[in-house]
Amino acid sequence: MSDRTANSPLGGYLSAAVPGGWFATRDHKRIGLMFAAWTTGALLLGLMFGILPMVRSLGGMEDDAGGVLRALTYQRLILVFMFLAPAIPAVLGHFLLPLQLGARNLALPVFSLWSLRLYAAGLVLALASVLAGGVSFGWTMPTPLSLTGDGVFWLLAAGLACSGFSWFLVGVNIIVTVHHHRAPGLGFFRMPLLSWSLYLGAYLLVMSGLILAIIVLYLAGARGTGRGLFGPDADPLLWLNYFWFATRPVVFFALVPAAGVVFDVVAGIGRKAVTGYRMVVGSMIALLALSVVTWGVHLSGYGQAPHLTFVFSVLSLLGAVPVALIAYSLLATLHRGAIACSAPTTFTVAFVLHAGIAAVMGLFLASPALGAYLNTTMFATAQIDYVMWGGVLGAFLAGLHFWWPKMTGRPVNHPVGRFGAFLYLIGVNLAFFPQVIQGVGGAPVDVGALEPGPTGLTEIAALGWLFLVSGLIVAIGNLVGSLWVKEAAGDNPWGACTLEWTTASPPPVDNFAVRPAGGDPYGT
Amino acid sequence: MATWLPAAASRQAEGVDGPFQGLYVAAAFAVAFAAGLALAYVMLFRRRDESARGAPAGRPHPLYLGLWTLLAAGLAVYALVAGFPGFLDQTVPPYGAYPVGVTARNDGFDFTYPGGHVADTLHVAVGKPVQLTMTSEDVIHGLSVPAMRVHQAILPGRQATAWFEATLADTFDLRSNIHGGEGAALRTALVSHQPADFDEWLRRVSDIFTGRTLAEAGELLYNREGCKACHTTDGTRLVGPSFKDVYGFEFPTRDGKTVLVDDAYIKESILTPNVSVVAGYEPVMTPYEGKLGDKEIEAITAWLKTLSSKGGAAEEAEPEAEGDPAAGDGQEDK
Repeated sequence: MSDRTANSPLGGYLSAAVPGGWFATRDHKRIGLMFAAWTTGALLLGLMFGILPMVRSLGGMEDDAGGVLRALTYQRLILVFMFLAPAIPAVLGHFLLPLQLGARNLALPVFSLWSLRLYAAGLVLALASVLAGGVSFGWTMPTPLSLTGDGVFWLLAAGLACSGFSWFLVGVNIIVTVHHHRAPGLGFFRMPLLSWSLYLGAYLLVMSGLILAIIVLYLAGARGTGRGLFGPDADPLLWLNYFWFATRPVVFFALVPAAGVVFDVVAGIGRKAVTGYRMVVGSMIALLALSVVTWGVHLSGYGQAPHLTFVFSVLSLLGAVPVALIAYSLLATLHRGAIACSAPTTFTVAFVLHAGIAAVMGLFLASPALGAYLNTTMFATAQIDYVMWGGVLGAFLAGLHFWWPKMTGRPVNHPVGRFGAFLYLIGVNLAFFPQVIQGVGGAPVDVGALEPGPTGLTEIAALGWLFLVSGLIVAIGNLVGSLWVKEAAGDNPWGACTLEWTTASPPPVDNFAVRPAGGDPYGT
Repeated sequence: MATWLPAAASRQAEGVDGPFQGLYVAAAFAVAFAAGLALAYVMLFRRRDESARGAPAGRPHPLYLGLWTLLAAGLAVYALVAGFPGFLDQTVPPYGAYPVGVTARNDGFDFTYPGGHVADTLHVAVGKPVQLTMTSEDVIHGLSVPAMRVHQAILPGRQATAWFEATLADTFDLRSNIHGGEGAALRTALVSHQPADFDEWLRRVSDIFTGRTLAEAGELLYNREGCKACHTTDGTRLVGPSFKDVYGFEFPTRDGKTVLVDDAYIKESILTPNVSVVAGYEPVMTPYEGKLGDKEIEAITAWLKTLSSKGGAAEEAEPEAEGDPAAGDGQEDK
């Protein structure tokens, strides 16, 4: 492999002969790129499992409720645990964190390599469990259904555990790197917001990753032996509490780095410093802290004591303030910028819309009486879809288009990228807003796609999926296609000020010829 | 918007619908404003000159930031305060609500009425609060009636409660909103009647002889009155003798006599069971004197005949004619 790439014209770390080639490399940039390939695989799998129920409800498939239930189960498991949570830290985090900090590599290169291997093993095991028949008990895997339901669960459990341990390694790596590998003069409050958000989210990657891995293994054990913490004699709320304790923060530690990406993108495309930098850092800390104590909003209507439901409501509604501060800061940063008309710009606007919708849907779900009504409906499904497909994927694509010249040394075709972004924006809303309407009408959570929707809504949603898939094909095809462009992107095509733009595109193996000195993050 | 919610049919629906409408308007405005501003800025401040740079770093404008934050906090406070009365209402059933027991299983719901009648659809009276006390026999299920704004999970090994007061007489969708695995079929109907119709319905379905042959009514009593705890129908011996091949046979009793199992002996064995007990069994059965009437005993006798090779021709009587076919769905006892 390394022989072939040695002849490639791309240059930098992409062509250099480095120890380990690609598959045993410890270079953060190569690992970041490989993570990009694997997470794109997870995204495509998620897309496939998301489209199946659509095809069925339009009558294009024979009536196979079991198959649809399995598709819905895997769609969520793969997207949440193998795309939503790891995509930004694993891909953009691996690639950009050392560059933004002026470091040669992540602090723990062995962790980098093994986080990738565990991630890949997790995805392969999950896929193997699909091929072995799959399970159909829903992505929250509630006991006692998950103890008795058909299917080969241990393969899936092993896959999810690998994923969880992979998050753990990614998280530890990020934390140690931020503490020990910042360039001289680069204090904590001089880090770009992407680095900040990765650093803050990493604490929850560590926590949630470990808890998820361990509880899933316990669950598989209980299923195998008929005893244990989550065994048939246990209170079924016990599993749900553990599960949501591990999973509730996922939405936040995915959205916070997503916001970090968007801040750096906006500062770059607008050639402007972030307004209210410290306020944003504080709001990110507040949001992540709240995410650890609000898992119970997912259990309203599940027999949770009413006073607990109320406390969880209050705690999660507190999140409205940090979200508003972040939104203010983002808009204020756009204000009076010199904003490039580019693909990341369109994805940024899509992010603001989608993350905004997801955030206000959170208000509905946290409102005491409304939450009890909406929490077991498709409204809750749609909120997670808006977070994943809308917020996190939107920011991820914005970041990928923004840093693509740095990653590959090749320029992005912006008109095509913007066209992809428009298709994506239309697709997300056509595909998922009908779910909001159906949810308010009372369609059940997670498995609502099994039921025929109100007239016309299913067709609209199917059209939305078509737009969404086309948009992704255009965007990803455009990025990959740029590799064949002969012209070079230049070291700093955006005129941005963070440290990653001070080195060559693509960066050399050691990132910087001379160790840079840290200054104000956005070069004011 | 309002039309996305199903037409409200319960008194507590307003506790959900009110905050929903309010939040919907406020949230739609907030999202449209933020996304619209982002779009406007992107177009308004687009780079006109390749070498242009953005304005120098500024600080958040204290007045705008304060207003913005206050509005967001206000939205959150509204979500909490507006949702609170409905939450209290959902949580605390009114005193004296009509109690119905609910058992959820993968193959459906059982609704148990105070008189002991068990139906697979839920019938209620308009204007009368109904309190559901629910448990599950296998996995987590739920009870959801969107028109009543009732959504409640039902957990195995726990009791969940929910209540509502219907305001419209109609038939509504009732189902589980929680995935119970492949093959789970928890979907039925909620029928709300005018109070007089409800009483009439309950009186009619509680009469176990309506729509059943005598023998079928007997089998229902066997299941419902607890006989099956001690007597099998397949010849297996439990605390008491099996009911297979008893009618028309002769048995020795504990005091050395011989009895022929006929209508009279069956009646005696139900009402005063410990007077002449078959040899080999203890006189431990609860007397049913005063609990079962002649017609019920007649029904049990007719059913025992069908279990016996000497029972003679099984009853061929047609089920009694039914008045209202719509009520037939509630007749099946389990």
